[in-house]
Amino acid sequence: MLRLIGRRLLLMVPTLILASMLIFALAEVLPGDVGRSILGPYATQQQVDILNHTLGADKPLYERYAHWASGFVTGRWGDSLLLKVPVFPAVMKALGNSLLLAGFALVIIVPTSILVGVFAGLRRDSFLDRGITISTLSMTVIPEFVSGVILIWIFAVWLKWLPVQAMPPQGSPFIDRFYYLILPAIPLMFLELGYIARMARVGTVQVLGMPYIRTAVLKGLPRRRVIFGHVLRNAMVPTVTVIGSQVGWLIGGLVVIETLFVYPGIGKLMVDAAQTHDLPMLEAAVLAVAVIYMVANLIADIVVALLNPRIRMGG
Amino acid sequence: MNDEQYRREYGEHLIEQVKSGKMTRRQLLVRASVFGFSATVAGQLLAACGGSSSSSSSASPAATGSAMPAPVMGGTIKVILPPSITDLDPVTIYDQGGIVMISQFCEYLIDLDDTNALKPKLALTWTPNSDASVWTFKLRQGVKFNDGSPFEAADVVASIERLVNPKSGSAALAALAGILSPGGTKATDTSTVTFNLDKPFADFPYLVCASSYNTVMLPRNYAGNWPKHPVGTGPWLLKNYVSKQSATAVKNPTYWGKDASGNQLPYLDQVDWVFVQDESAANLQLQSGAVDLQPQTVYQGAQALFADPSLRVDEYPGTGIREVAFNVTKTPWQNKDLRQAVAYCLDRKAINTALYAGRSNLGYDTFWEPTVFPKSPTPPVRAQDYTKAKQLLTSGGKPNGMDITLTVAKYLENPQLAQLIQAQCKPAGINVTINQISYNAYYAGTNSNTPWLNSAMDITEWGSRPTPGVYAQAMLLPTSTWSSSHWNNPQFASVFNQYMSTSDEATRTKYATQLSQIQQDETPILLAFFITQLRTQKKTVYGVQGPGSFYCDLSMAFMTK
Repeated sequence: MLRLIGRRLLLMVPTLILASMLIFALAEVLPGDVGRSILGPYATQQQVDILNHTLGADKPLYERYAHWASGFVTGRWGDSLLLKVPVFPAVMKALGNSLLLAGFALVIIVPTSILVGVFAGLRRDSFLDRGITISTLSMTVIPEFVSGVILIWIFAVWLKWLPVQAMPPQGSPFIDRFYYLILPAIPLMFLELGYIARMARVGTVQVLGMPYIRTAVLKGLPRRRVIFGHVLRNAMVPTVTVIGSQVGWLIGGLVVIETLFVYPGIGKLMVDAAQTHDLPMLEAAVLAVAVIYMVANLIADIVVALLNPRIRMGG
Repeated sequence: MNDEQYRREYGEHLIEQVKSGKMTRRQLLVRASVFGFSATVAGQLLAACGGSSSSSSSASPAATGSAMPAPVMGGTIKVILPPSITDLDPVTIYDQGGIVMISQFCEYLIDLDDTNALKPKLALTWTPNSDASVWTFKLRQGVKFNDGSPFEAADVVASIERLVNPKSGSAALAALAGILSPGGTKATDTSTVTFNLDKPFADFPYLVCASSYNTVMLPRNYAGNWPKHPVGTGPWLLKNYVSKQSATAVKNPTYWGKDASGNQLPYLDQVDWVFVQDESAANLQLQSGAVDLQPQTVYQGAQALFADPSLRVDEYPGTGIREVAFNVTKTPWQNKDLRQAVAYCLDRKAINTALYAGRSNLGYDTFWEPTVFPKSPTPPVRAQDYTKAKQLLTSGGKPNGMDITLTVAKYLENPQLAQLIQAQCKPAGINVTINQISYNAYYAGTNSNTPWLNSAMDITEWGSRPTPGVYAQAMLLPTSTWSSSHWNNPQFASVFNQYMSTSDEATRTKYATQLSQIQQDETPILLAFFITQLRTQKKTVYGVQGPGSFYCDLSMAFMTK
């Protein structure tokens, strides 16, 4: 197990280097330049050229990458070219916000979807199973912008039960943040519930057909013990893998939710940085999400290995 | 002749013009404001003309005194705004988020009321020489920056010189190019500034007023990093600013401004700002009651706001446009008949209805439009006329119609406008292919290859400009920095210079008529409408000042229970 963890951690290094190079190269393809982004469409070309020169944005790509990389690895993440604020605290704050939203959403999504999926799997082909499958699938296909707008209109505009923003006023106690995150977490639940629940259902159905479950039942074990001791443990393997792969998206891919609910997460930060050629901010934000994504997958693999001794033994 | 004599004579001239019917009472008010007469003096001039002193202008509901309750002191207003793309720097800001924010803390020499007329702010008077090439501004005395330093002529010189310096990154440089150069601004004494222009420019006060967003006054020692050192003479003090998220401002207890009753401004204690980029999200915030005011509301998606009983959407006669430019250096737009052919395909009323529910003012391919700029001559109406369009196509060498490409950014209502043009050109045999690109791509590149200045035909959004002359200076002259049409008409340029070299209203009207005729006949750009601006607020909010453009003034805003 330790070898697995060590190998995966080591693999992160070349992955991050490659990702950072790709970001730099892809940013070149985007239209515009940082000088124009800072000074706007109505600045003269001379002004833009002067600023680009001052920022070093007119230097060759490899030179700019080397300059950025040498600073980044030594902890000098620099300042945002547009916002003139230090990159490190800005990225960490946005990442923290995204982690909180993702964590809050996962706390709701994971138990609910597993419960629903296993319940459906245990009652395969029943009216309830079909009802759960159809309803969760229907929720999954609703774009989060649509479900978000409808939810805001119902709960914030009409009923006024929940706040329309995802951030409480400054100075509010930390606990208030969870109240403000309820509304944005619901569209995420709609999206993820169907996906994870179906994985849990399929896992349950597959495990229920295994000979060792039949044996356990024939041995006369109580149903509760069969389900919790044997079915759940084995049915969770594909579900945990799916959850691990969704964490990255839940942290870095919530641009729509962050935009709609005015939430300062890292997804919106990355999009803004990409659109304005703010490379120090973009690089740091993308690499931070990449690290989280890889760590989440590693944790998922560890959990899967713990659940399934054959994987653990196989290394 | 000294300033006072000149002003007295000019006042008498204005009175005679009104009495003889050569000028309307509204035009008198506009001209009086251009030449720095105070509201009191303007009222006296109107009184001297006889009759009531009320203006016939279509004042907004917010500005209509009869509908406004007595001011309520104290309280906090929550304002929703798009975030500034860049950091807040008065010298470089160019978007709504930055402009609205900065204009709460820093002030202009001249203000704009909600009909786009000039009114004194940090400058009390502004007087031209005989050909409007030298302007003398008298400054308000006793004004202090919020760091305690006095506001004086040296600060004006430093602020303006900073803006005309190419190295400063000033967003105002292009607008001032060719009109005011480095070294042209001088302090005569501590309260008098002289602007020595590169050429006569009768609209110069508009280039240093609240519609020229970067011309706020900063201390002479301003060194940048404004969010950390938020200095200005304005009614608010920046208490907290989180980029792209929120800001808080509290009232400046030493602010110089007082209302007509002598009450200290601002009325409110605090302004809380929340920055929201997405219009749908912003509208939902307004509907939920989470915020009190949106200084500028876009039409698309705002229908629900009009129907909301808790909100009031005020309309202001805006001057913003969507410029549909024909690049006359590219085929087939060298041919005037073909440009006119497209113009006669447009049903401007239908476009206005489709895009703005009929609320905007129609345009007829000239900046001189009296419904928007009151002193303008009335241009001939250009109605949709397919017979004429086909005749023009034939005389332009395209009897079987033509295929053209219209480049447009996916931004605001520009794509919808492109689709309307496409549909309306089709019956005349003009097949329009829409090249829709991203906003960033539209403005990307250098002056020699950026799509917005180099496409054969494109649509560019322009925010409010206070006079037709300022628009023409920006895009229709050989020296214009932002000419998408690349139209170069020596006759227009010559008349324009004469138009800007005189202060005489009758002479200016004569030249304006010529300019309008040339522009409409040549049709370098299509101007189908002037956009009426919207401002959304709770029905308990009153007193928000400003012309509904990016600029708005909250010093007299208040909220009732």
